[in-house]
Amino acid sequence: MRPVAAVAWAELLRFLRDRSNIFFVFVFPMLLVFVLGSTFGGAGTQGGVRVVGESGALRDALVAQLESQDLSVRMADEDEALEQVSRGRAAAGLILPDGVEEAYARGDRIELEIVPTSGAAGLAMRQQVATAVETLQLDRAALGALTQRGIEAPAAEAALDAARGRVTPSRVTVRDVDDVAQAFSGVGQFEVGATSQLLLFVFLTSLAGSSTLIQARREGVIARSFSAPVRSGQVLLGQTTGRFAIAMFQGLYIMIATTLIFDVDWGDPLLAVLILACFGAVAAGAAMLLGSLVDNEAAASGIGVGLGLVLAGLGGGMAPLEIFSDTLRTVAHITPHAWAYDAFADIQRRGGGMIDILPQLGVLLAMAAVVLAAGTWSLRRSVERSL
Amino acid sequence: MAGDEDQVGDTRGAVDDVLVVDGLSRRFGELRAVDEVSFRIAPGETYGLLGPNGAGKTTTISMVAGLIRADAGTVRVAGQRMSPSHPQPKRHIGLVPQDLAIYPELSARENLVFFGRLQGMGGADLKGRVQEVLELIGLADRAKDKSKNFSGGMKRRLNIGIGLLHEPHLLILDEPTVGVDPQSRNSILESVERLSTAGMAVLYTTHYMEEAERLCDRIGIIDTGRIQAEGTRDELIRLTGGVDQIRLAGTGDLTHAIESLRELPAVEQVDHDGLALRLTVHGAPTAVAEIVTRATGAGMSLADVEITRPDLESVFLQLTGKALRD
Ligand SMILES: Nc1ncnc2c1ncn2[C@@H]1O[C@H](COP(=O)(O)OP(=O)(O)OP(=O)(O)O)[C@@H](O)[C@H]1O
Ligand SMILES: [Mg+2]
Repeated sequence: MRPVAAVAWAELLRFLRDRSNIFFVFVFPMLLVFVLGSTFGGAGTQGGVRVVGESGALRDALVAQLESQDLSVRMADEDEALEQVSRGRAAAGLILPDGVEEAYARGDRIELEIVPTSGAAGLAMRQQVATAVETLQLDRAALGALTQRGIEAPAAEAALDAARGRVTPSRVTVRDVDDVAQAFSGVGQFEVGATSQLLLFVFLTSLAGSSTLIQARREGVIARSFSAPVRSGQVLLGQTTGRFAIAMFQGLYIMIATTLIFDVDWGDPLLAVLILACFGAVAAGAAMLLGSLVDNEAAASGIGVGLGLVLAGLGGGMAPLEIFSDTLRTVAHITPHAWAYDAFADIQRRGGGMIDILPQLGVLLAMAAVVLAAGTWSLRRSVERSL
Repeated sequence: MAGDEDQVGDTRGAVDDVLVVDGLSRRFGELRAVDEVSFRIAPGETYGLLGPNGAGKTTTISMVAGLIRADAGTVRVAGQRMSPSHPQPKRHIGLVPQDLAIYPELSARENLVFFGRLQGMGGADLKGRVQEVLELIGLADRAKDKSKNFSGGMKRRLNIGIGLLHEPHLLILDEPTVGVDPQSRNSILESVERLSTAGMAVLYTTHYMEEAERLCDRIGIIDTGRIQAEGTRDELIRLTGGVDQIRLAGTGDLTHAIESLRELPAVEQVDHDGLALRLTVHGAPTAVAEIVTRATGAGMSLADVEITRPDLESVFLQLTGKALRD
């Protein structure tokens, strides 16, 4: 066991010694979590809507509708609303142009302006506001239909209210678009960003770190270790353990730091670490594969960063999977990132437990088994060739 | 030569010798990189493999150290059979590879600790030994510096220190002075001499004949994968009929001097090239005093005395028809 631990420890130490890692491993992820949290954060019910416009029947009805969707609504003037939206303090601004109240009273066609923030939160809010407006219109149409049939307005409204208690027709049509918002309900400002960055950086750091493996091969350190009374399997296992330790280090650092700095809730810590471990094993295997197939360090770093970004982008490591189209979301699941993302979403937002994330863990472990076996085989081959 | 001796010599060797290499061969495709190489190293002995680039030195060493498999032949270290699949005998060997095999991001101490753990060492034992080695290789005051910031000579010393850490029976050094400044080179040679005096067996490869002459008790001359000749320096030179030459430059009664010098048993032949006398001599360093006395006694006044001894370079040239260095 001692040789395995020695190789693993040396690899972790070399990783920590690399000065360029200080920024990319420690500072950069926190910076991105902060930026993402401030821009996209507070999605769904938390970011709130700023409503701009004179008071009137339309405004009151809209506010009531929005509030019935658990949105926090505040009045603001236009400049204030735009500024808050652009700073990510509000998820959207809803602007009622001058004269719109009169048009509404007359029953004319009206136009409202929605200014959502960029990204998921904005998208979610846009749908919720649209839903609110739609519901309002449906109600109005229904009321109109009833009063035309000669029913007194108050009686008609009472009937409508009663009907709404039983069926909510507009809800049926908007349920789909409402998914995004629902997915993020109860999520803190930084949670989604922190999860994405964890996935992005664990993989990216592992892949980029494969350059130290190439260096060890080229400098003959790995070959030399075989002059000691160790089995080649021990050295290879040590390398694998070292790569895994690097992935875990990066992941645990992001978990702990975001918990302390941004108060991110990772859900059940044991389950969170378990997901990280399965995902980290895939990352470690991928790093071994890259570090043994490519002989040039600069090329490996380049490929590592490129691949790390593409996989993360595709797999929910940059933008939340929930805003992906169904097709793209299916494609995303060729990446380990998407499976880990789903598992984290389960335990962070849906109150999922061990049973709920078993399928995702299973897929991650299967992926890990494949890349670890391929990586070990390919490293053994490249080491034997260099002797 | 030792290899030609009968079975009696063989059984003695099998018990005592630190290393016994027998009929070792290895091909790379069509190339016979190492071809039936055999040699032995006794405790405390320094054995040199002297040969040019591509001679097969590193390949031989890689098989001796159990890094690569031999196509044929055996290696025994301290009586145990060496092979890549048997890690245990490897503990008797300390390998110092030709290329620096150290972690540049780790300090001298961390590198030593890492390789010590691979040797199965640990705890206070390892700590104490690491400190000893750091002092031995003169890096105790730089122990915490990253090895990538070391000079070439310091890196080489660390490379050697790693091989010494676990106090092996046999230290293998593969061209340890390549690319090293003269001062560091000398300090490396001195430490090898010290280790040898302390009783360690050393296998030393080089393509510098001066190093082989200075360090090695016995030398195997290797070229194109084969040991071309083996023996002590003097044996090798005698093998190729090499003799010493002394050149006496001066004036006076040269004819008388020639006659007088020819009477000396150490002197084989005396020639006169107009300016000086050229003597072919056995054991020039011991005979030179007598020769100078005779020549001056015969009426010659000497302006210059020059001794030329055949070296391994000329032996190599004669054996292989090519120069040791390209
Ligand atoms: N892994 C390998 N694959 C193919 N050929 C090899 C391999 N290793 C060595 N050789 C060839 O075997 C021959 C002996 O090489 P080796 O490295 O043993 O020589 P050397 O005596 O150590 O030379 P140098 O003084 O340059 O280090 C050379 O022709 C070399 O090209
Ligand atoms: Mg060599």
